[in-house]
Amino acid sequence: MPAKQAKGEYIETDTGNKVSRKSIIVGSQNIILGGKTIIQAECTVRGDLRRTIPSSSSSSSNSANVAIAIGRYCFLSRSSILRPPCKILKGQFSYYPMKIGDHVFVGEGSVVEAAAVGNRVTIGKNCVIGKFSIIKDCVRIEDGTVIAPNTVIPTFSLVRGRPGLVVEELAETAPEKLDLKQLYRMI
Amino acid sequence: MPPRTRPSASTEPVSKSPVDLHPACVIDGTAQLTGTYLIRVGANTIIHPKARLNSSNGPITIGESCIISERCMLQAADTNGLVVGDAVSIECNAVVEGREVKEGTDVEVGNCKLCPMTEVAEQEVVPDYTVMYGYSERRIDASGSEGARRKFLDKHIEALKALIVSNPAKFKA
Repeated sequence: MPAKQAKGEYIETDTGNKVSRKSIIVGSQNIILGGKTIIQAECTVRGDLRRTIPSSSSSSSNSANVAIAIGRYCFLSRSSILRPPCKILKGQFSYYPMKIGDHVFVGEGSVVEAAAVGNRVTIGKNCVIGKFSIIKDCVRIEDGTVIAPNTVIPTFSLVRGRPGLVVEELAETAPEKLDLKQLYRMI
Repeated sequence: MPPRTRPSASTEPVSKSPVDLHPACVIDGTAQLTGTYLIRVGANTIIHPKARLNSSNGPITIGESCIISERCMLQAADTNGLVVGDAVSIECNAVVEGREVKEGTDVEVGNCKLCPMTEVAEQEVVPDYTVMYGYSERRIDASGSEGARRKFLDKHIEALKALIVSNPAKFKA
């Protein structure tokens, strides 16, 4: 097995993450991958854009340094970008951590600058998720959607357009369709 | 099997372009500066990792206090070159092939603001203070918020200077 891994496109970690050798991971010490997450080629994850001012909540110094936390069974397609959002709060500029839940799919060429993405969220191709937007659980974002900064998308929504608006509600059976375990096994 | 070189190390620019980097600019080692004409970068300008500047067709001049984000592509269209003014922020995945981007412009995924995914046609001149949004609709911004914007940009640059490791030596011929 080890020999096969060395040849393959993906590097597999102990927790089952498959990270492409051609992906661009900057500041990996500030990134947490929950396990079984796939990161495809040319995908950019900016862990170096970490919080520059200390967190107001008295959490441990370790968690304060996390820039991007990704859950389990996530899929980051080719040339997608994950970068933490930034703003000025009380006169101080800082980047803020980004949290991504489980079973999150990010399509090709999409740029995600959300503050939080819930579980079972599918983001299509060439989408832009604005700074500090919050996407709740079970959301489908269609290809080419641009979500404005600071938007909050409720659960079970289908989002489309520029700016991205909720156009439909998803059926109650949607969570099963948004499961990415199968996708993980395919790679 | 011998350890393979990291992709970043093996993707050395095919033709390194001549560069004129201001000592106070911050340029990440993995940015790609290619082409044959001169690329000039002003003071306090931040170039993120994997930003691509291609001067095969003409020189590129970038002003002071600009932010060039990752995976964006700046290319001069002809020998007149591409001039990016001061305090311009070019966001992820943007493609800039025009002749001049004036002072105080935001290009998001162009005093103009181009929101994500908007497109400017060839030969088109976008007037000052234009905002392009949605499906390339446009309006004139009369809010007069340049001061606040500039303050934000300066603070942004200040923070990025601490976060991005500058490696100008890699681009010197």
